Amino acid sequence: MLVSEIDMITPSSLPECLMQLSKEGRIHRLIAGGTDAAVRMKEGKWRPEIWINIKNLHELRYIEESEDCIYIGPLTTHTDIIHSPLLQRKADVLVDAAREVGATQMQNMGTIGGNIGTASPAGDTLPALYVLGARLELTSLSTKRIIPIEEFILGPGRTVLKENEMITKILIKPQKPNEIGIFQKLGPRKAQSISIVNVAISLTLDQDLKCREGKIAFGSVAPTIIRARKCESMLPLGTLNDELIRNIAKIAWKEVMPITDGRATATYRRDMASALLERGLYRLIRRWNNH
Amino acid sequence: MKSIQFIVNGKECTVLCPPAKPLLDVLREDLGLTASKECCGKGECGSCSVLIKNEVVCSCLILAGQAENQVITTCEGVGLSPNLDVIQESFIAEGATQCGYCTPGIIVSAKAFLDGIDHVPSVGEIKTALGGNLCRCTGYTKIIKAVQTAASQKISEPETIR
Ligand SMILES: Cc1cc2nc3c(=O)[nH]c(=O)nc-3n(C[C@H](O)[C@H](O)[C@H](O)COP(=O)(O)OP(=O)(O)OC[C@H]3O[C@@H](n4cnc5c(N)ncnc54)[C@H](O)[C@@H]3O)c2cc1C
Ligand code: FES
Ligand code: FES
Repeated sequence: MLVSEIDMITPSSLPECLMQLSKEGRIHRLIAGGTDAAVRMKEGKWRPEIWINIKNLHELRYIEESEDCIYIGPLTTHTDIIHSPLLQRKADVLVDAAREVGATQMQNMGTIGGNIGTASPAGDTLPALYVLGARLELTSLSTKRIIPIEEFILGPGRTVLKENEMITKILIKPQKPNEIGIFQKLGPRKAQSISIVNVAISLTLDQDLKCREGKIAFGSVAPTIIRARKCESMLPLGTLNDELIRNIAKIAWKEVMPITDGRATATYRRDMASALLERGLYRLIRRWNNH
Repeated sequence: MKSIQFIVNGKECTVLCPPAKPLLDVLREDLGLTASKECCGKGECGSCSVLIKNEVVCSCLILAGQAENQVITTCEGVGLSPNLDVIQESFIAEGATQCGYCTPGIIVSAKAFLDGIDHVPSVGEIKTALGGNLCRCTGYTKIIKAVQTAASQKISEPETIR
């Protein structure tokens, strides 16, 4: 299939889009911001017969809150997330992560739905979504289901999404006033780079820096995002002082399961996972003390 | 082939092209607007930057069909001699361009950035805003200086009519 032979359909509403997705006997694929899709098309990896273009499907671009749940439309861009006062207050770790995606151009084009859809182990919004307890609404012409993000991603680029389904909503739990989060990333350069390791942390803190509960999710150190359960179980053991933070960081070194690839060796990734977690915890505490 | 309409630099255009053709190629080949350059072709260098509805994007990764009916501004639309924009004037004054390959993309990024703020940006702010634009020649110092010069001129002479 040549690029010049690929057709494009631009549905004007969600029902029309779902109808297009349900058509059988042809190879089609959704394209939103295109920052993954167009690159893969050029590389020759993705050459569908038809692009179903949802870039301007505005009904799927929103950030709303109601009854203890924040709803994000899949076409919300990283720039929208960065500038959302609601998310800055109640999902700080996601805002942090969106700021680390590419540079301005990619943040303006790339969408959260596309970041999830690509399901890269290095996708920057994913660890943040894991610690925020995100759930995804998957819709087809005749079905609708809501599943936790952990169950959505199966491996690099592999998800449970069926041919005729799409992500229509992202649901996250708003942070409470005593919850605070942070996202840390190591890439080959500051802007525009794929994570070598990244980590999202979200803590529920008491006045005296005792952590009641915390969540830690690493990216790029396993085939999918992983929660560092052992590290998490250490968080409530005492006041978050130097000793506890260093011990947690040491456990992280053992808990991640990275591979060696073109971007980094496994050992380097372990070292950096540990260092990023340590740095993240220190920065989180500084942020907490300043707010 | 599809007939696709855009508004480019204020003018309505209709192009007959494959819908998956990158917008950058449409601008250069079909519309003869060659300021936007292709370098990496995959979003990493910013030399193809254009504005869509005043937001900077990489035209090498936007497919023509996705840009249908959109308002697009290229570096030619920011300003053409003798009616250059203050940003372009500052790039010349500060010597912020050498081979010039990256320059149209950087001008476009700087335009979107400066239109969104009303102060003279710090070096850090400029580095973040222009982080998606690479330059092999200048070492960036003069580019950063030129953006600051343009910002202070915009503040001292607001709304100069071109
Ligand atoms: C130069 C460059 C730098 C980058 N840097 C980063 C980075 O630092 N961090 C990072 O995480 N990513 C990065 N990326 C990757 C990319 O920008 C992000 O993953 C982005 O969020 C993808 O969104 P999109 O809208 O462009 O997706 P698209 O390319 O449009 O789509 C991606 C995939 O998701 C599917 N999809 C899109 N929307 C939906 C939906 N609603 N339901 C189901 N499936 C859907 C598509 O079918 C496709 O398979 C970078 C890319 C480039 C080119
Ligand atoms: S050519 Fe588009 S970003 Fe490099
Ligand atoms: S002036 Fe040559 S690449 Fe920037």
